[in-house]
Order: sequence, then C-alpha cells, then structure tokens
Amino acid sequence: MTRFTPHRMSKSERRRLVTGLLFVSPWLAGFLLWRVYPLLSSLYYSFTRYDLLREPVPVGFKNYVELFTTDPKFGVVIYNTLYYVLLGAPLGVVSAFLMASLLNTKIVARPFFRAIFFFPAIVPTIVTAVVWQFLLNVQFGAVNSLLQGLGLPTIPFLSSPALAKPSLILIYMWAQGNAMVIFLATLQDVPRVLYEAATVDGANAWHKFWHITIPMSTPVILFNLIMGFIYGFQEFTLPWLLTGGGPNNATEFYAIYLYRNAFNFLRMGKASALAWILFVIIIIFTVILFKTSARWVYYGGESE
Amino acid sequence: MNKPSARGISRREFLRRSTMLAAAGFLAACSSQVPQPQPAPAEGESPGGAAAPAKEGVTLQYWVGWGELTPFFDKFKELPEYKELLGDVNVELKPSVATEALLTAVASGTPPDMTSEAPYLDLMARGVLAPLEELVAGSSIIKKEDFIEGNWEAGKYQGKLYGIPALECFVRYGLNYNTRMVEAAGLDPENPPVTWQEALEWHKELTKFDDAGNLLQIGLDPYDAEGGAVGDGFYATRSWGFEWFNEETGEFNLDNEMMAEAFDVMGEFYRIAGPDNIAGMRSVEGQDTWGGSYNAEVQAMIIEGYWHPGETAIQKPEVAKYNRATWAPVPENRRGVKVQGTGGHYVVIFKESKHIPLSFKFAEFLNTKSAMELVFKEVGWLPAYIPFIESADPSAYPGLEWYFKSVKEADEIRGPARCPITAFVQDTYNQLREEVYRDNMTAAAAAAEFQKRCVEEYKAAGFAG
Repeated sequence: MTRFTPHRMSKSERRRLVTGLLFVSPWLAGFLLWRVYPLLSSLYYSFTRYDLLREPVPVGFKNYVELFTTDPKFGVVIYNTLYYVLLGAPLGVVSAFLMASLLNTKIVARPFFRAIFFFPAIVPTIVTAVVWQFLLNVQFGAVNSLLQGLGLPTIPFLSSPALAKPSLILIYMWAQGNAMVIFLATLQDVPRVLYEAATVDGANAWHKFWHITIPMSTPVILFNLIMGFIYGFQEFTLPWLLTGGGPNNATEFYAIYLYRNAFNFLRMGKASALAWILFVIIIIFTVILFKTSARWVYYGGESE
Repeated sequence: MNKPSARGISRREFLRRSTMLAAAGFLAACSSQVPQPQPAPAEGESPGGAAAPAKEGVTLQYWVGWGELTPFFDKFKELPEYKELLGDVNVELKPSVATEALLTAVASGTPPDMTSEAPYLDLMARGVLAPLEELVAGSSIIKKEDFIEGNWEAGKYQGKLYGIPALECFVRYGLNYNTRMVEAAGLDPENPPVTWQEALEWHKELTKFDDAGNLLQIGLDPYDAEGGAVGDGFYATRSWGFEWFNEETGEFNLDNEMMAEAFDVMGEFYRIAGPDNIAGMRSVEGQDTWGGSYNAEVQAMIIEGYWHPGETAIQKPEVAKYNRATWAPVPENRRGVKVQGTGGHYVVIFKESKHIPLSFKFAEFLNTKSAMELVFKEVGWLPAYIPFIESADPSAYPGLEWYFKSVKEADEIRGPARCPITAFVQDTYNQLREEVYRDNMTAAAAAAEFQKRCVEEYKAAGFAG
C-alpha cells in the first residue's frame, strides 16, 4: 500500500510562492475589491428593496417574482433583446466573415479596405451614433434626403417601431471590425495545402469556401458568436444614444431597462435581480452554443 | 579603515524593502483616523450659527443639473452680498450633473454640500437632506411670507422643510406662440386658442409637409416642455382640473374619464403630424431638447413657463421678438377657466455636508436682490421671492408681461403633486401616451393601466403602508 505523503515545500519554494503572491497581489486585490465584492453585493441587493439612498430592506424573492409576474415591461424587454441578439449576433458574424473573406482575396488597395472595415471598431460609440443619426434620420438624414431627391418616400429607420430594431442590427453588422480582424487572421492561417489538394481534385471556388474555409474557421465562428451573444445581451450605448429605448419601447433592451430601474426609478434591488437574470440567460445561451458546437465546430488537433 | 562594500542590493533585499514600503504606504492610505491638519474652526460652522460670518478657506460643492449658470456663475462672487454673507468662501459649481452621478455620490457617502435642479423629491423622501427650519428661523433673509406660497410649500416633504426656493421658480404654464408663423398660416395672433379643440385647429393649420409628405414644421407638440412634464405639475391633470396623487393617503387618481380624455385629445396632435415624424424631428440636434424646436422655428406653439420669454430672448432674439403668451388650453367643458401653476427649483443641502450653515448662507445669497437681478438678466429666470418679483420689469422680455398678469387673473393656481415615484410616473406616462397616439391602446385602457402600474410601483418601492 502506498502511503500518501503531503509535499512539504522547501524554504526556497515557499519563498518563491510568497514572491509570486506578492507580485500578483495588486491584481488580486483589485479583482476582489472591484469584481467579486460588487458581484456578491448585487446578488445580495437582488433580494432587497434598495433605492441607493436608504439601507437595503430584505424582501426575499419579491424582485424576481415581480419581474416574472407583474412587471408589464419585462416581457417587452426580453422580446426586444432576444430579437436583437438572435438576429444580430449571427448576422454580425456573417458580416465580419464576409468582410474578412473579401479582404483575404487579392483585391486592389487591400490595406486601405482593411483600415476602412476596421475603422468602426476604433471609433467611439457616440461618434458612431451621431453619424448614423445623420444618415438615417427620417427628415434630415442623408439617406432620406437622397430618397427624397429621387422622388421616393422617406423611410423612418429609427423613428418607426417596426424599423428601429432592424436598423440597429444593420449598424451592429457594420461595426464588426474586431471580429473581422480575428477572422482575417484565421483565414490566413488555413493551410494552403488543403486548397491545393482541392484544386487537384477539381474543386471550384465555392467548394473550397464551403468545404475548407468555413470548416477551418468554425472555432473562430464559435468564439465570435459567443462574444456577439454576450455583447448583444448587454447592448446599451448605441440604442440609448440613437433612440433612447423608443419609439414605443421598440429598442428598450435589457440593459437599458436595467439602467432605468437602477437610476431613474431608484429600484437598485430590482435592477440587481435583472442583472442576475441576465447573467443566467447569458450562461444558458453560452452553454447551448458550446453543447451544439461539437456538431459543427472542427478542431484540427482533436483526436477522433 | 572600512572597506566600502562592492556588493549592491540583493534580489531578496529588494523584495523585502519593496514589501515594507508598499505595506507602509497601504497602511498610511487606510488610516483615516490619523488626524489631518484642519483649517481652524470658524464661527460660521457652529450648529445654528446661520447668522455668524462665514469662515475663510472653505470650498462648498454645489452640483446642479443646469448648464445655464456656468457662463456667469463667477459674477456672483463679485457681488457685495456674496462677500457679506460668504466672505472668502468659495462655492464651486459643478454644472450639468447627471442624476446618476449625484445619486452615486450620495450613496457612497460623498455628496456635494448642496444641489439644485436635482430629483428633489427622491432626495427628500429618502431622508438624505438636512431639514432647514432652524436655519430659516435664524435668518434675516429667508422668511416664509416673502415667498410665493406654492413654491415655499413644494420645498417641504411630509411637513419638513428641505428646500429653499432659489434661482428658477415662479409660474409654469402659458401657451407661447410665434406670431410670425401664426400670421404666415393665415391665423389671427390676436385671437389665440383657448380650448384644446381650438389649439388643434391651429395645429392643423401650422403643421406643414413638403410635397413628398415629409414633416417641415408642427403647430404644437402638447407633450413638449411643461406640456409633458409630470414633476412640475403634470399639465394634463391641471388642464382637466383634477389631482392625480394624494400625498396624505398615497392614493393615485389616474384611472378616470378626464385622464382618458387627456390621452385622446393630446394624442390627436401627434396623429396629425405623424408619430414617426415627430419622433424623427425630436431626434435631431437642437430639436430634441426641452423647447428646442420652438427656438428652431420648427414648432409654432409651446406650453412653457415664464422662463420661456427670457430664455428665448437671450438664446434666439430673432425668434423671441415674435413670441407671445396666453393661457394654456383647457378642455371645452372648462372653457374660460384660467389655469396657472407654481413649481420650480430649490437649494437643498445634504445631511452629510460638513458645512450646512454655510451652504444655507449661499441659499440666502441667491435670494438677495443683486443675485436675483443677475440671474434674471443672464438667463431670464425669476425666483419665488415676492419683493423681487414685484420690482422686476415685466416688459424685459417679449411675452413675459402676460405671466405677471396671469398670477392675478388665474382661477386656479396649484403647486406640483408630491409623489415619491414621480420618475416612474413620468416614464409610464410617456409610454402610455405613445400607445394611445399610435392607436395600440384605447385612451380608457391607458388610463386604467396608468393607475395600475403606478399603484404597483408605489407599493413595490416601499411607500405604500
């Protein structure tokens, strides 16, 4: 019988451990103070009636019950957010992938187009909002001025409840610079030998794209899709600046409603409950994506 | 002879010393109990010492939601009354403060000393403000009888005084119209609308589209500015003549025929111009802000307070010269009833301020003649201080004179309802009125829903019972 003997650290090992901990301690302190503490606080607040200015009063699950039973806006907010995420995240990935594929070909002025496509990723959101407002406004926007000039009716992109969400998705698809760069790196990493073998086998461009490029990019597609989902669920700045949640609540997304409860209505407890529900929703979507990924994501180094 | 050491500091030694240094720094930063050098205590700081002269070297933090005070705020400090009351005390203005910034500061225990243009009622109802009765009792400047009653009373919550009316108060309702635009539409500026129906007729004439059906200008957005603001009196309820909230009992009165009729009648103005069109118009820079579209001459009429003539004259004199004011519209069954309201702003002082008496002195200063004159000249605002209002020049700005007369002629003058969930009521009102004018909901259903949601929120926010 083998007896387990705990490893006793030597003096120098202990010293190294202490040194390591000391070096990492600023990060650890920051992580505990600025991440873990607020996270746990918000969990506690979600079970309280807390208005920021007075002491929290424990109310059990009331905030959660209110959201799922009596809050008339919660359903609208969930619908808006799911609409935006389920359409926006995949379309964002498609848009980024297509842009990257385009830039991976031998087109003229490739560096220029790379810069142009990446540009939205580095522009502050407020600037993006002003530019799109200038383009899409129903009365004074450049797009509608063009339509007017052609004698066509104008389109209330951002002021019609039916069009506001699709318009925001369109803007989201445009702002895919980061995802595009990741895709571009992936595409450039696909082994040339695969394309050469396919050419020898008589494959055309579409076959190569469908049977080589896409499968080889699936790990990054999964990554960008997950990031898109997470980003989409937390989307706040652009709709807040462009539509303020309107018209008629059409762009009242989850994060906007959370903010409204926290700072307009002083319902920080309810806002914390909203945050934790959002956390669970994001976890569920991420797990679903990971679970289904075995069917469609190809990892080259994976054993059978 | 000692041999100098050739050896430098070892790695271990370096780490040891760094650790000690970091630990010492950390301890020093954390030791809030360590006495710090303090300026010498001054006379003005003792409790109840409101009348004592101010101390030197103190800076008072004054956070306001407005941006309008910034250009001239330093001129306050040059006035003799400022020197007399505050001496060398520096009042540091932080303008355009977002509500969330203020609330976060209060929640974290680091509020400014005082604030204005803030969610007063939220602060009053949640016990973070200093009660001011004692300081008022010792003041030779702030006397209840000198203030417009409605303004004074609205500075209280559940009987306790928390706000000293200051800077921008006076009366809230008037239908301002642009005589040039009115004449251009073939209407008679000498015969303005009295009822909502008449205002709607004007609205139809003044709302213009281009050949492609795009909106060029509107007559009246009844929800713009004071027309749609709940916190400052809730004009729809004033116009139809009912109280929407009872502070004593905490009861809402929103599910009634008058509220439903208000939704319907006011919504008609949107239906004519097109809800999408107005939403588009409102999202344009310069037309989205409170009253901005009137100054841009995209809107010909607006329901606004007395400040409108002065602000327009200062910001857009070319538009102000056509400005005229009359009674804001009422429903047909109240034809002839002249409705006016009081409301406005306060200096409120935080309980956690270390300079409560000094901050009160600043509130006193704002109610001195030269401070009020400066504000009236620079931004067109009037206080609630009756002796000043009686001496102010009503003809200073086009349309202002009507507001002065309205105080004497009004049949009804009320202050705003004191509801501690006003922000929620405002948000719900915005949503439901849009549901009505977009024809997604009947006006009666909207009124019923309005009542239901407000009652539930009041309860959930912990105010019921």
